[in-house]
Amino acid sequence: MSGGSPRLQAFVELRAEDAEAESALEVARTRLEAGKRLRALRRVRLFELTGSLPARGQAEELMHRSTRFYNPAKERCTVRDAASGAAPFRPEEALVLVVDRGAERRPAAERWWKHETGEKVEVREGQVWALTFEPGADATAEAASLASVADRAHGLLSNPHFQDWRPGSGASPPWAWFEPAKRTPARRRA
Amino acid sequence: MSVRVAVVQLPGVNCEAETVQALECAGLRAELFRWTQPARDLSAFDAYVLPGGFSYQDRVRAGALAAKDPLLDVLAERAEAGAPVLGICNGAQVLVEAGLVPGGGQVELALARNRMPARVGYYTRWVWCRVEESPCVFTRLLEPGTLLPLPVAHGEGRFTSAKRGRLAALVEAGQAPLRYATPAGAPAEEFPDNPNGAEAAVAGLCNARGNVLALMPHPERALTLGQLSRGIGSEWGRRRDAALAAADASAFGEGPGLALFHGLVRHLEVA
Repeated sequence: MSGGSPRLQAFVELRAEDAEAESALEVARTRLEAGKRLRALRRVRLFELTGSLPARGQAEELMHRSTRFYNPAKERCTVRDAASGAAPFRPEEALVLVVDRGAERRPAAERWWKHETGEKVEVREGQVWALTFEPGADATAEAASLASVADRAHGLLSNPHFQDWRPGSGASPPWAWFEPAKRTPARRRA
Repeated sequence: MSVRVAVVQLPGVNCEAETVQALECAGLRAELFRWTQPARDLSAFDAYVLPGGFSYQDRVRAGALAAKDPLLDVLAERAEAGAPVLGICNGAQVLVEAGLVPGGGQVELALARNRMPARVGYYTRWVWCRVEESPCVFTRLLEPGTLLPLPVAHGEGRFTSAKRGRLAALVEAGQAPLRYATPAGAPAEEFPDNPNGAEAAVAGLCNARGNVLALMPHPERALTLGQLSRGIGSEWGRRRDAALAAADASAFGEGPGLALFHGLVRHLEVA
């Protein structure tokens, strides 16, 4: 069932209001300096699949009928198979992907996929927070301030002692978000 | 005693009744303090317990939102002034996320998702906890090396730090008054004696002064001998069996969890 892109991203959002994001927004705005100019906060679950994958339509159908990815009765899923594909973010949103360090893989989803398609794929999951700040705010810097908890007055969205976070922009949501940043090879000395 | 102990009930907490009962069994005057009350009123208490549950529904992550609650500012002030503060399970997660444990205000640790072989998520069982040499006020009546059977019930209870060796250093400094142990009393590195993969087998961690304790097991669920699991052996198991066989009030005899609350009583008497 291969023949598609070697990578797919699936973005899963709640259809109803997200009480968790509402709570986080309230706490950030009222308790944290970096959150004072935060106007909106959304939460999107991200699955990234890599390996021998089918075309996007087939992948959408597989994820729709599996219980390993999302619940169509209460969530909606947007799948893209290229960096240029649509993702459910607005250009002005600053993005923060939070992952549990060393626990991004979803073995149960991978087993299900193998059972259904015969293909071995890697499935990773993280949580994307989409932050909208007031006009004039340095969205990238303020999102970074909220991304990682330091003390009661600073940071919220991840705990650096067991989680990692990676930045992004709604204007161009990262493709291959889970891959470690490639190091630039050191220049050879003459 | 005339001292007042606040059992701080944040929204989503569900062990407040047992915690009040545990404090009363130890002879203390315990009062529920709800999150809807003015934070400043919390200053009037002599000691504090954050009970278990799911404060703020574990939104963002366990303890993360509760740690920003104005009540925690008051608790931090009171802890700094030396008032005893015990966080049980979700209460422990709140204290760690608030930087009250291991102390100093910075978030130096996490209570991360359990790491267990071939399973994920919530896990509950009775475990052995070994008392370690420590300035902790809650274990002050217990000899180092004492083994206590206590129940754990959590999905995020793995003490860990991004700083390599930080947990081992805290153990060395006497800030781990309770560690998971094998039935023979050795520190438990393996599942299921170590039920969550906690580094250095840490079950409870206190600040340097010893007045703030973040504890993952539930002592308030081990108040009487009759509450002890059938799977618990050794002296505690023999006492439980004898108490149940007596078919009288013996089953209500003191269980292992009560010792920590007696420690609090002794501390408050001396203070």
